[in-house]
Amino acid sequence: MSEDKQKLINDAVEKALSGDADAVNNIEDRVTRAKAKAALVKAKREQPKKEDSNDDASKSDEKEQPLSDNTVQKVSASLIAKFPKSLDGEQNSDWIQLKPESWFEIAKWLKDNPDFYFDSLQCNTGFDLGEGLLESRYNLHSMKHLHSIEIRIKVSVEKPDIPSVESIWRVADWFERETYDMFGINFIGHSDLRRILLPEDWEGWPLRKDYEEQETYHGIVVPKVKEGWE
Amino acid sequence: MGVVHGQEMVLNIGPQHPATHGVLRLQVKTDGEVISEITPYLGYLHRCFEKHCENVSYEQVIPFTDRCDYLASMTMNFGYVVAMEQLMDIKVNDRVQYIRVIMAELQRIASHLLATGVFGLDLGAFTPFLHMLRDRERIIDLFEMTCGARLLYNYMWVGGLSHDLPKGFVEETLRFLDYFEPKVDEFENLLGHNKIFVERTADIGIMPAEVAINYGVTGPNLRASGIKWDLRKDDPYSVYDRLDFEVPIGLGVKGTVGDSWDRFYVRLQEIRQSINIVRQAIDKLPKDGDVHQSMPKKIRPPKGSIYSRTESPRGDLGYYIESDGSDTPYRLKMRSPAFTALGVLNEIAGGWLMSDVLAILGSLDIVLGEIDR
Repeated sequence: MSEDKQKLINDAVEKALSGDADAVNNIEDRVTRAKAKAALVKAKREQPKKEDSNDDASKSDEKEQPLSDNTVQKVSASLIAKFPKSLDGEQNSDWIQLKPESWFEIAKWLKDNPDFYFDSLQCNTGFDLGEGLLESRYNLHSMKHLHSIEIRIKVSVEKPDIPSVESIWRVADWFERETYDMFGINFIGHSDLRRILLPEDWEGWPLRKDYEEQETYHGIVVPKVKEGWE
Repeated sequence: MGVVHGQEMVLNIGPQHPATHGVLRLQVKTDGEVISEITPYLGYLHRCFEKHCENVSYEQVIPFTDRCDYLASMTMNFGYVVAMEQLMDIKVNDRVQYIRVIMAELQRIASHLLATGVFGLDLGAFTPFLHMLRDRERIIDLFEMTCGARLLYNYMWVGGLSHDLPKGFVEETLRFLDYFEPKVDEFENLLGHNKIFVERTADIGIMPAEVAINYGVTGPNLRASGIKWDLRKDDPYSVYDRLDFEVPIGLGVKGTVGDSWDRFYVRLQEIRQSINIVRQAIDKLPKDGDVHQSMPKKIRPPKGSIYSRTESPRGDLGYYIESDGSDTPYRLKMRSPAFTALGVLNEIAGGWLMSDVLAILGSLDIVLGEIDR
């Protein structure tokens, strides 16, 4: 992109942020206008976070978001103190990225610590990040303090091992079985890690992005043609 | 399934059995009549919902959500569009919001009518079931009047609705509510205070509150265990914070808090609350407002993820949506409330009699379409 176009975009975004919505719409060139809109969205997303600390009105607007941001920072601060080296890579204010090794101890601590008291595991989502990485995401919630956080744990496809938290939150039993079923993530220490939704002798991990259906199942041809979808 | 000792026997309930509310196989280990272990086998209705979603555009996901919980399609739509609107930061106008609430609450009544009716049917009470289906039919007629479909509506769209309310809908709904309100008392007398029904359900399959939370049980099942937890109150979405209603909890009227009878009774009281909510929402329904006003031309959410929860008739319905900035979801996970409710079965049904298993299963109100997805 040429420099003056970039300048045009920056100007338009600045104007739009200060209230003049037409500044972006008035850009003639379609491509530049689209880029300006994208820049505007990005700028707007960054903006409210700065304002949050002193503006109460915007807090109530965004439902639980500011609260959970707060919680994430609080939790990760105490995590660093209690379990140094457990955090994985860069952190941000929306979730906590953990290394798999000490997840079991951390989970136990998150549940038992009276400040946080995450007694309910809301959701466990498997995830294929591509580039040979899988992820398991946990949405935790406290019925007592009414706050929630998201924990993410990255593992490689070659060695997809994550400690199981089945004995901490019993609901994790079936959640982990489902994630295992769909992504092949191994939950170490799970008492009964079997497939849950698919038949036990099904091959492959369906929700991975590189998944290919098996040719036949018990002599029945597995259909692969996706005609008539649209 | 562990080791089977002498005197013990392994039995299968299902997969094709009317009391399993779908296609579910329960492998039961019994010692005479007493259950020692239940292992549920799921997946007979697995339709690859999450895999499909990665291959269709965001608006095409909505009909799939209908088919997950086919007894509460409106609330399934509702949960999805609420998540999408949070992800895309769309504000919808009040008329759309109130219509959505009316539909969701009518759907809750219909779903609870079927749940309590079938629960009675499982225990041999045929008459209340017919009465409840008769009244559920009226609600389905209202839905048919609105969007043409009787079971799978595809009614709520991202940023709006497929149709505005038809002429005469409000009057027809009020007429139905006037007719229906006294009927709830009738159901309570007919089924809830029936001696046989009470004997079969009170003190049976007690779920203590800690067990319920630990197993992630939500919705009426959790409230029956005495915990006041309702997302419409505790984490309000849409316009629920502007409506005034109670959250009924189990009190152990006939037996212990958290028994099967409490789970039945909480649902019955929720029907009353839903009637109340529909009336308020109709009162507050704005006269004007375009239901297509905030609908984006192209649904392409910004990069990012969201986990959003709504209260479906069966509990916390969560959608985890990850967008990579394209037209199709990168990953979409549905956290199904019935999935976790079924997970607790082994814990609360162990030690009871064979005939009680069906009572406990019926009281949990599971829908297999949503469990298997």
